[in-house]
Amino acid sequence: MRNFFRRIVSDFKEYLLLIVLSVISLTVLSLNEKPAAKHLKTFALGNFAVLNEITSSITSILKRDEGRDELRNENAQLMLELNRLRKYKSENEELRSMIAFKDTSKYPLIPAKIISKLVTKSQGNFIINKGSDNEIKKGMPVVNDKGLVGLIMDVTENYSVVQNLYNSNLSIAVTLQRTNVDGILNYDGYNLIIKDIPTTYDVQIGDVIETSDFSSLFPPSIPVGTVSKKESNILGLLHNLTVLPFADISAANNLFVIKVIPSKQINQLEMNLIK
Amino acid sequence: MIIQYLKPILFFIPLAVIQLVIVPLISINNIAPNLVFVLITYFALKHGQTYGTLLGFILGFLFDIISGGLIGAFMFSFTLSAFVVGYFYGENKIDINLSTYFFLFILFICGSINSFLYAAVSNSNLSVSLFFMIIEEGILPGLYTALFGLPIVIFQPKEGM
Repeated sequence: MRNFFRRIVSDFKEYLLLIVLSVISLTVLSLNEKPAAKHLKTFALGNFAVLNEITSSITSILKRDEGRDELRNENAQLMLELNRLRKYKSENEELRSMIAFKDTSKYPLIPAKIISKLVTKSQGNFIINKGSDNEIKKGMPVVNDKGLVGLIMDVTENYSVVQNLYNSNLSIAVTLQRTNVDGILNYDGYNLIIKDIPTTYDVQIGDVIETSDFSSLFPPSIPVGTVSKKESNILGLLHNLTVLPFADISAANNLFVIKVIPSKQINQLEMNLIK
Repeated sequence: MIIQYLKPILFFIPLAVIQLVIVPLISINNIAPNLVFVLITYFALKHGQTYGTLLGFILGFLFDIISGGLIGAFMFSFTLSAFVVGYFYGENKIDINLSTYFFLFILFICGSINSFLYAAVSNSNLSVSLFFMIIEEGILPGLYTALFGLPIVIFQPKEGM
């Protein structure tokens, strides 16, 4: 009997090894959000990102743009301000006075630079050169001077991981600026999509999409993109809207972290939903 | 034995930095080559299937924890695709496999499998069609990865050929 098992092991050792390693990989994959896995990731990321930062600074010598950082910051502030003003314009005086308190608050921005990117079709993320030492916390939104880029997912002392819009795990509550139609924006691995909007709602190509008042992950009125295509389902009752983001995410280099976490408890609940 | 595994890990460190910092600059529509997989393929063809599978597992784990992605995704895809690379291994075929354009073919086939597997385990959105996944998340990154095997074919010493 022992010889039989020994023969099986020696004859099929490659297959047995493959099965064992695949099972371990899939088990680890399912334990991604466990604190031990998070600690390991944070430790490795914090140490290895130093190498990435050095390389990144060498490669960016040719496109050095430190002098423009301040202008970029101002541009991002103006972008947020402009979008708030656009919203005011489309609402009547009564509504404006009701929401004025929420929208007049200014969001402090923390400038950051991307030091590395993981380029895949479904898991878009960046590592930026600012972390908990710069008061960055998990769940803070990230923008550039054009619009929303993503969300802080992991933070080490000096570095943070940003899950960008092109990540299939990120879902964002959004609203159409012109008609206040709400929906959930997702990345399907190919496009940014808002699914299941009733065809009776007034939606036009070119409508501006921004973060919704209902989102507790993101402050309201951060511009996200425009509607570039609308497709009806088979019955013609619902639309799927394709969204073209304002921010050129693949070319992004300088980002701003919005220093705001609206509600710790709700935020935690929403972060759990993302997981 | 340890040195046999230490060597690819030493090569892995600079390659991982290049993969995370420089490769994004040459990616086309989020389609990028995987330099770490080129390394795994090279060593799997040199040392065999068991070695390649283990190396894929180790380097996959290391790349997962330093890239900020899902831990286990590259671990799984590298392990399985390195196992497939192992089928091309032969003690008498090492030179042919590494120094001819057949290396690019192996890299293309196994690179496509690797990219497809990674997309399959990391994409939580099931609305993407299988056809789209095979083409855009399998074959195209596989082709791009194969292109980066060219320096190995060119600079690999051609013994007895």
